Amino acid sequence: MNLLAEKRASGHHGAHERGREGHLGGGSLTGLGTLLRFMFRRDRLWMPIWVLSLAALTAYFANAIAVVMDGDSLQAMTVFAKNPVMGLITGPGYGLDHVTVPRFIVGMYGVFLMIGTALMSIMTMSRHTRTEEQTGRAELVRANVMGRHTQLIAALILTVLMNAVLSGLMAVAFHFSEAEPEPFSSTLLFAISVGTVGVVFAGVTAITVQLSAFARAASGMAGAVLALAFVVRGVGDMSAVAGGDLDWLSWLSPLGWTQQTAPFTLDRWWPLLYSAGLVVALVIAALRLQSGRDLGAGITAERLGRACAGRALTNTFVLSFRLQRSGLLWWSLGILVMGGVFGSFTGAMDEGAAGMPQEILAIMGGRSGIVDGYLGYMALYFAMIVAAYAIIAASGLRAEEQSFHTEPVLATAVSRGGWLASWAGVTLLGSAWLMLLAGVGEGIGAAASMGDWDLLWPTVLGHLAQTASVWALLGLAFALYGFAPRLMGLTWVVFAASAVLALFGQMLQLDEVVLDASIFTHIGQYPAQELSAEAVLAFLVAAVVLVWLGRLGFRRRDLVTA
Amino acid sequence: MTTTTSTPGPASATADHDTAAISMQDVVKSYGRVRALDGLSLDVARGEVHGFLGPNGAGKSTTIRILLGILKHDSGRIRLLGEDPWAKAVSLHRRLAYVPGDVELWPGLSGGEAIDLFARLRGGVDTHKRDELIERFDLDPRKKGRTYSKGNRQKVALISALASHVDLLLLDEPTAGLDPLMEAVFQQCIREAKEEGRTVLLSSHILAQVEALADRVSIIRSGRIVESGALSDLRHLSRTTVTVQVETDIAQLATMNGIHDLVREGTQLHFSADTAELPAIMRTLGEHDIRSLTATPPTLEQLLLRHYGKETQS
Repeated sequence: MNLLAEKRASGHHGAHERGREGHLGGGSLTGLGTLLRFMFRRDRLWMPIWVLSLAALTAYFANAIAVVMDGDSLQAMTVFAKNPVMGLITGPGYGLDHVTVPRFIVGMYGVFLMIGTALMSIMTMSRHTRTEEQTGRAELVRANVMGRHTQLIAALILTVLMNAVLSGLMAVAFHFSEAEPEPFSSTLLFAISVGTVGVVFAGVTAITVQLSAFARAASGMAGAVLALAFVVRGVGDMSAVAGGDLDWLSWLSPLGWTQQTAPFTLDRWWPLLYSAGLVVALVIAALRLQSGRDLGAGITAERLGRACAGRALTNTFVLSFRLQRSGLLWWSLGILVMGGVFGSFTGAMDEGAAGMPQEILAIMGGRSGIVDGYLGYMALYFAMIVAAYAIIAASGLRAEEQSFHTEPVLATAVSRGGWLASWAGVTLLGSAWLMLLAGVGEGIGAAASMGDWDLLWPTVLGHLAQTASVWALLGLAFALYGFAPRLMGLTWVVFAASAVLALFGQMLQLDEVVLDASIFTHIGQYPAQELSAEAVLAFLVAAVVLVWLGRLGFRRRDLVTA
Repeated sequence: MTTTTSTPGPASATADHDTAAISMQDVVKSYGRVRALDGLSLDVARGEVHGFLGPNGAGKSTTIRILLGILKHDSGRIRLLGEDPWAKAVSLHRRLAYVPGDVELWPGLSGGEAIDLFARLRGGVDTHKRDELIERFDLDPRKKGRTYSKGNRQKVALISALASHVDLLLLDEPTAGLDPLMEAVFQQCIREAKEEGRTVLLSSHILAQVEALADRVSIIRSGRIVESGALSDLRHLSRTTVTVQVETDIAQLATMNGIHDLVREGTQLHFSADTAELPAIMRTLGEHDIRSLTATPPTLEQLLLRHYGKETQS
């Protein structure tokens, strides 16, 4: 439609338009239409995948909550939802006093959709601006009849359009869901306010891609702004729920503005004006920054590293650690915080158990042992999260080979078995470390919220024991790497099947034999259930044997070379 | 555990002087249906700089990677410093250094860290030599891997290789991204390495470089060695390029033995002559009035051109 309009305009007053454009922008937007068409062509999969996934997620939340929650359980969950920690995570919780299903969905799940939308915008912007410059493709484009700001503005238009379409689809998906939200104007307000977050972060990324010469660093900076926006409004919302006096903090965050529209409760449109104002300011600043720099250059200089290697960097184990370090660091931080937050729910879980839906109670050990049940269940939950980390880290070994970093290492006095064992060693220890952190965070949170420090050690033990199943999965990943690196993705399949069985198998009343096929159902959810020493031992042996097999396979095959 | 020392001096190189540095016989390597090496035989003596010439895709890198034990050959016999490169990869790698044609560095590690790491993994770094090389190659070692240009990544690998005390240097088109100034530094470094008694296998398609450095040359085409020997021997096989300016046309040149590619351009005649037939040709030319004559010795370009025809003409 946009293209059509543009064509028509240029058809009617072609020469006139061109002249005016040249006068206004100094030709800085020349070629916009062509470049936009090209971007649409490039993103013909990227756009629908993002937009449809987020719309589907909305539909899922809206329908699932409406089906699972009836009046009583909704009331019970509201007690749970109204504690300050939930305020920190989900938002100010407008309308939870007289809760309805739409209010509950907006209050509890809106923030996840906002984060998804923000990530979509950050990655789309970075992909069309800094990545293009970093690879040198932007130079080819700019050498043609193309204005200085064309690429940035085209990327912004594309991203804003994605958010607009997403808002439309979200509104439709929500409106026709089992949640039956009324009126439609509130549904629309919700969808548009979520899309607004996407537009704001398109603006934020327009700035960060000017700052760093590297796409990953630029996306990382925009992600850090998102995290900051989340935390700032989190503290404000926590204060609001607890009746403190820091609730003004929520008004300093773009996520806060979107949540302050309070759809289905206050139905305010005006907080979005703040977002719009910020977007305009960000785009103007981005254009000025871009005018002031060379193509391909950043505003911030790349920090210099060490001139010589440190004393420790002498073997492949240290090298493997060095290469996995930054990932492990961020995961450590995330897991520790998550553990602490989930742990501090324990008190609220204990109080709210009475009215909880039977399905959820059953998974967590029933009414009587709800605290132990919850902590044991969280150990399983963290095992799955850490398993995802572990598989990503193990896949790094293949990425090293594919980006030709492994070849020069193996051209030194390093054996193939030694290289694989070093990488595997760091990954195995790293996942054990993360399980320990999860247990410590969970244990401290639980102990603090229950005022019972005897909870700490059983929680740590229960989490740490789950490491064995993560290690068995890692063993599989490394065995596949040794023999058929292309099949490493199978580890994800085993992981996903195991996770689905462990999470939903009981609810679906599946047979024991089927449940046993999951790698996560054998250790035992301590402290609710007994730990199975046999299972722990069997998994550890399996991990060792599989890594050893992987080394055997790796010694036999050709390396991937340039 | 093997008992190889990490820094064998020139003494150990002379101790087993009878064994060649590299010996490959009838080596075959296939990738699926494609035959990368098709009965390749290559001999490199200890202490020599051996030029390994061939067009892209001829099998140079495959040969070097088989010598490194990174790829496994299908058949044939290979000895590297007297040992099997696949089975003894680790202990052999203490005695050699490798520079790939496309150096990829870790984005987050600085150049200096990569230099030290590779040298240490080989068995040790000569910090004095390293600093001197960093100076000579004019490299900033504090920059992160992702910020280096191709030429600078190449320098990182070269400095790391040259700062290690090794018997053998395997260099796979090592100067592809270097400017002429750095190319000169590189040539000086290779001469020094030769003086220290090291063996160098230098793969290249830059013929001037090989001409300046190599004692002997092997030419590879489609996975086979088609010519091998000292440069002087190979020249013997080639032709001299002759340009003469004449008053009147010399018709009999067209029919003479040993004259090829005769072209007439106004008063100029260009042709290439078989070296063996040169005396007869000169006598014929002497009988006519000649204004000027230039004769240039065969360059490696011409050697390659003879073997590969138009394939190498770019």
